Amino acid sequence: MPLVRKPSTPTPPTSSASLTDGTSDERWAAARLAAEKPDGVTVLSSALARENDPRVREAIFTGLARIATAKSAAAVVPYLRSDDASLRTGAIDALRAMPGAAGPHLPHLLADPDADVRLLSCELARGLPDEEANRLLCELLEGESEKNVCAAAVEVLAEIGRPEALPSLTRCATRFDGDPFIAFSVKVAIERIVAPPRTRRE
Amino acid sequence: MSEIPPVSEEEFRKVCEFLYRRTGMLFTEAKRYYVQRRISDRMGFLSISSFTTYFAYLRGDVDGEIEKFVNAFTVNETYFYREEHQLRCLSSDLLAERVLAKRPGEALRIWSVPCATGEEPYSIAIWLLENWPEVDVQDIEIVGSDIDTQCVTAARHGEFGLRALMRLAPGLVEKYFVPTGQDRWRIVPDLRESVQFTSVNLVDPAETRRHGAFDVIFCRNVLIYFDDASRRLAAENLFDNLAPGGFICLGHTESMSRVSSLFEVRRFADAIVYQRPKGGARG
Repeated sequence: MPLVRKPSTPTPPTSSASLTDGTSDERWAAARLAAEKPDGVTVLSSALARENDPRVREAIFTGLARIATAKSAAAVVPYLRSDDASLRTGAIDALRAMPGAAGPHLPHLLADPDADVRLLSCELARGLPDEEANRLLCELLEGESEKNVCAAAVEVLAEIGRPEALPSLTRCATRFDGDPFIAFSVKVAIERIVAPPRTRRE
Repeated sequence: MSEIPPVSEEEFRKVCEFLYRRTGMLFTEAKRYYVQRRISDRMGFLSISSFTTYFAYLRGDVDGEIEKFVNAFTVNETYFYREEHQLRCLSSDLLAERVLAKRPGEALRIWSVPCATGEEPYSIAIWLLENWPEVDVQDIEIVGSDIDTQCVTAARHGEFGLRALMRLAPGLVEKYFVPTGQDRWRIVPDLRESVQFTSVNLVDPAETRRHGAFDVIFCRNVLIYFDDASRRLAAENLFDNLAPGGFICLGHTESMSRVSSLFEVRRFADAIVYQRPKGGARG
């Protein structure tokens, strides 16, 4: 039989891995290892501020998401405001991957002065327990002036909305009266929420 | 006799959107009955009579419901030569490219993870012996790994029933198996000795790291069960386990581009596979 059987030949971890210098491969390896160390959040967040390689950034975000503490979520949050789309996407993906740690930041994020941050944060609410997500998104809908932010909140409510969200949805549609997109989105969300409950036929 | 009524149009869309976002599996109106059946089965099994209640149960992943629900949409049964087009791609395209990257005498390494009870890694071995002309001159190391140590033990033992062998021609069964009883066959000793089995947790970097770098990884129908955090970590671990230019084959419903931007898509005649960029780094 020409196939061979022999012990696996693991690649030894890079002992000189450093997040501050070296090739992108070395920085990638260092980012992957940093999440396993006690000072991981400090090392990773400081590296994220300097790193330009998208692959290494992805490993840093994954490392922070893997640590999943209030501190690691706090290190990611500022990147929701980045002008760099890949950083914003990396941040939202990382926060989505640590819903428990990201949750406490959501009330502030949904009230952020930057409309783009509020819009991205609506998606994070999807990962919260339904009741809390409904409450936060309804609070946002009641005062939100940006149409696109409202649309993002309405889209999430179309999936997780509960009957108590109906008044906020209706008022949102009224406030943007004449806007066909908001009217359509709210109509779909309301239809899904009020869909008659299915019960078992005996 | 109790019966779960059909889901409404809105409920159907909710479930389809959830499934798509979670797994990448897309179901259209044409598959409504198929989706309905699986919802009804799960609701019936759990004695949940309201769709709203079931959807909240599903979203909350109570008692691992997401995995059970997704399981209902996938073919969990594994058997020899499953997704044969990927094996054709392996022998037609992938290995030829990988051989060029090898130093003389360096073995090609192929990883089947998760390997369940061994059907996939043994299939790879049989396929190559039967279909890859270079098999006699190129060293090939095949490793099968699974998180379930009972599966690993069963894989090492290499005994299978009739259903697992249903896609194999009788001649192949005769050549690579020995009958052990009523509708039971065991892989011949030489072939069993040619495949190494280990346990591994795909989201544990320390465990994946010790397996080293592979030329081709078969990682089918597992990422769809992971949550966002686990999927990201597994993708990065798999990236590290590929040699630069190495390939990863996923299940037919899966897409690495939904999970990570680390890999490049390669389209071959028989399959779409993902590749670790040859230069090591992107961007």
